Amino acid sequence: MKKRVFSLLLAVLTLLALSGCGAKPTAQTPAPAPEAPKVEKLRIALVLPATVDDLAWGQSMVEGLKAVQKTMGEDKVEVAISEKLGGAVDAGSAIRQYATQGYDIIFAHGSQYQSVLTEIIKDFPKTTFAYGTGFTTHPNVFAYDPQAQEGGYLLGMLAALMSKSGIVGIIGPMESGDAVKYNYGIQQGVIAGKAEVKSRIAYTGSFNDIVGAGNMAKTQMSAGADILTGSSQQAVGALRAVAETKNAYWLSTDMDQSGIAPDHVLAAQVYNWEKIVKKIIELRKAGTLGGQHLTLSLADGTIELKYNAKLADKIPAEAKAKIEQAKKDIISGKLKVELPKK
Amino acid sequence: MNTKFRQVLKQVLVLLAALAGALLVGALFLLLAKSDPIKAYTVMFSGPVNDKYGITETLVRTAPLLLVGLGIVISFRSGIINIGAEGQILAGAIGATAVGTSLPDMPGVILLPLVFLVGGLCGAIWGGIAGWLKAHLSVNEILSTVMLNQIAFQLYMFLIRGPLIDPQEVSYGTGVPQTAIIPAQIWLSKLIPGTRLHSGIIFALILAVLVYIFLWRTSIGYRMRAVGAGPEAARYAGIRVEWYLVLAMALAGGMAGLAGVVEVTGVHHRSLEGLSAGYGFSGIVAALFGRLHPLGTIPAAILFGALLLGAEMMQRAVNIPAAMIMVIQGLVVLFVVSSDHFQRNPGSLAQLKAKVFRGNVDKEGGEL
Amino acid sequence: MDGIINSEIMIIILAAGIRLATPYLLAALGEMFVQRSGVYNLGVEGIMMMGAFSGFYATLQLGSPLLGIAVSLVVGALMGLLMALVSVTFKAEQGISGIGLYMFGWGLSGLLFRLYVGGITSVEGLKAVKVPLLSSIPFLGPVLFDHNGLVYTAFLLVPVTGFILFKSSWGLNVRAVGNKPEAADTLGVSVVLIRYQCLIVGGMLAALAGAFLTIGQANMYADNITAGRGFIAIALVYFGRWSPWGILLGSLLFSLADSFQSMVQVLGINFPYELAVVLPYMVTIIALAISYGRVWAPAALGKPFQRGTRG
Repeated sequence: MKKRVFSLLLAVLTLLALSGCGAKPTAQTPAPAPEAPKVEKLRIALVLPATVDDLAWGQSMVEGLKAVQKTMGEDKVEVAISEKLGGAVDAGSAIRQYATQGYDIIFAHGSQYQSVLTEIIKDFPKTTFAYGTGFTTHPNVFAYDPQAQEGGYLLGMLAALMSKSGIVGIIGPMESGDAVKYNYGIQQGVIAGKAEVKSRIAYTGSFNDIVGAGNMAKTQMSAGADILTGSSQQAVGALRAVAETKNAYWLSTDMDQSGIAPDHVLAAQVYNWEKIVKKIIELRKAGTLGGQHLTLSLADGTIELKYNAKLADKIPAEAKAKIEQAKKDIISGKLKVELPKK
Repeated sequence: MNTKFRQVLKQVLVLLAALAGALLVGALFLLLAKSDPIKAYTVMFSGPVNDKYGITETLVRTAPLLLVGLGIVISFRSGIINIGAEGQILAGAIGATAVGTSLPDMPGVILLPLVFLVGGLCGAIWGGIAGWLKAHLSVNEILSTVMLNQIAFQLYMFLIRGPLIDPQEVSYGTGVPQTAIIPAQIWLSKLIPGTRLHSGIIFALILAVLVYIFLWRTSIGYRMRAVGAGPEAARYAGIRVEWYLVLAMALAGGMAGLAGVVEVTGVHHRSLEGLSAGYGFSGIVAALFGRLHPLGTIPAAILFGALLLGAEMMQRAVNIPAAMIMVIQGLVVLFVVSSDHFQRNPGSLAQLKAKVFRGNVDKEGGEL
Repeated sequence: MDGIINSEIMIIILAAGIRLATPYLLAALGEMFVQRSGVYNLGVEGIMMMGAFSGFYATLQLGSPLLGIAVSLVVGALMGLLMALVSVTFKAEQGISGIGLYMFGWGLSGLLFRLYVGGITSVEGLKAVKVPLLSSIPFLGPVLFDHNGLVYTAFLLVPVTGFILFKSSWGLNVRAVGNKPEAADTLGVSVVLIRYQCLIVGGMLAALAGAFLTIGQANMYADNITAGRGFIAIALVYFGRWSPWGILLGSLLFSLADSFQSMVQVLGINFPYELAVVLPYMVTIIALAISYGRVWAPAALGKPFQRGTRG
């Protein structure tokens, strides 16, 4: 037994050595090709915990970056994306690799990346890093922080004013981070919209189980909810279940999901990442590499309330007016949407 | 000597052939994804060994893989399988973090061992539950560990979003599910400055040797292996089979728990979302590639760590969907495990594993 | 909460439980054959993902969920064949090969989705079919007879697989191969062939379970759509002790606990939701723990067959 183990050990080490030696010469070939910088190109990298097509957090950022790339010119901006890096270890490798390759701005688009960032940033003082949701900044780190409760509040009002059954259903992933802020906003908005309407929260316990979210939505609807909402990647499963039900509507967050169910998505809270990205690019140009805590809010237009044009006539004018008033009040600071205090 | 050399040579050749096979099939998928297989593979193989960055990042992954793998070795050798390492990692991590953050003023020389002890213990308890359920209530451990993984995950999330959340997350209203940073005196030291490589790898290597000594040089280890080789015979020989089953699972869980502690003290310095990162499963592969031997698991864990990193680097280099990483890893596992067939005839190891997967059997066959 | 658990709520909980049990039932019945023949396949999750994707994709392209099911069955058979090649012909260690298959299936389904679909798209999936007459029975009608075809299929498969396993000569061969492969071999039963057949059947049923998720429930595909259901299905095979009725019991118990906790959450709870979410997992462990007794298992489970050696 021992002999066999030893021989295998040897075999593996040989293999390692072989691949090491064999690789060295080939590895040098790509090295001298760091495209001679003719045009001053801005290089942006994005690291995502989920996928680029999750119809939520990740995709909204990808579309924001693409929009920036479009307006600034494809030849001026390069965008590289690494997805499915839910584990902070792998994300750390990716971020460090991008930094080593000389990317100018690296978006670590997940709240779980804060710790790995603090370790990397010291070695790359000239690189700008940005991550969110978070608040801790460093001289070369921006933190961004969507005030999800603000749009949630408006959507909650809309839900209360539109619900015929008097029950608004929320499908939460887990009770943490942006989901809590959003749900809390919805709940307060529902109360403000119509006091007698109830909101019910149920959690699937998973960020990405779309089948589970769909089933939770079915349970919510069978128990009376007719306006539903929810956040994170799993939410799209709930949306699909709503889309199969007559007279049930969905409110989406992070991005506009009406494309997948045009007859059922009433409105959306949309994060305008394009503005945030542009802001970071401009700050960097002006010499500010980081150090700012950037909030996304209704006030500066980085959070928008977007109605689905196709269903616009379903929403009574007085409801719309009431919501617009609340929006103005939030923007002016007259109305403050509270966050949970533990 | 000559025959031995030829044997080794044969093993290397077979392994290389298997690897080549996996890469060849993988190349088809790479072509399907319209990317250049040569470029992709160049990065995949050179990346992890090419420079300081690659080597250290590989070893950063090796530490948890090896620790989980050692636990798998212990449990398998004792005739019980542990697929609950994901949950045990979380149990260890959260235990370590809770102790670390609540005693911020304690000197490192006391706190660090304490943190390792508590974390290991938490993992051991979580693993021990499955062992106890099997030994005393005949609950199959595959069932219980699958279920316990989910329970651990939810419990862990509850703790890091609730009682143990970083107070700053509450005051800033961001509410990100992560604990406060553990005090700096218990951060594992960096072996090479400017990299993430921490002393956890040394800890894991030492533990591998200790596990080897434990299993092959102590009477407890001997009895555990006897239980693994045949519970009936062991019972006949007067060994308390139930007790050793619980012990095996507790030790396996403890090892996975220590992997969690190492991730907390060495890499993240807190408990956060996604901490287990699939090591609970890849650790099984590392242990079985290491022929269920503590020392064999060392190169296997290094190799698997390199594969994890290399595939990630490849994905970024040729810009293909991240799913390709799993495709390549899956293919490598399938081909390498198939190549075993050409290396040796399935001997005692296969029999051992057969016993393990059949579960705790009182009666052989009978019922047709 | 008082008086809230009325018959209407009960119907919702029970009907949802039946629906939720379907993927577990399908995948676990398939794995039952596999394990009965002496192989265990930890790769069920990977096969489910491939089934989920191929069923979805075929439905999207061909416009018919029935064709989607057909395609997913073929893909499942191929995945089963792959597992058979690795674990029966090459006699690989089944624990690793299963995990390898899981990784491969997860990766490949995600890759193909990205290459050929590219983003979240919904499809017209299977529609619920009310069984004439039976569905109008009060209480039982809406609980049992208002589901889509795959739900009925899964539950009908319980007696069918029971009959095949215990009453047909093929089933006898399967059990013999899993229990005493040498004896079966001596009697002229091909161990390899039976194991291939079982892995293919198991693959098809696992793929069907996956297809149920994409075209019978979610009506869309997204990354990691199975979310661990394949592993639960394997656990339920042990719960059911390799018998269709036991597996039915386990699947129902797990799923009813799940639909119950969903309803409890929806109707308002004031304790951490995590407690509700883990209920199905707890219930399954506890149920098995209190029903403990003599455990029997196929004697050759996990043992690669080698003619001429006593295993």
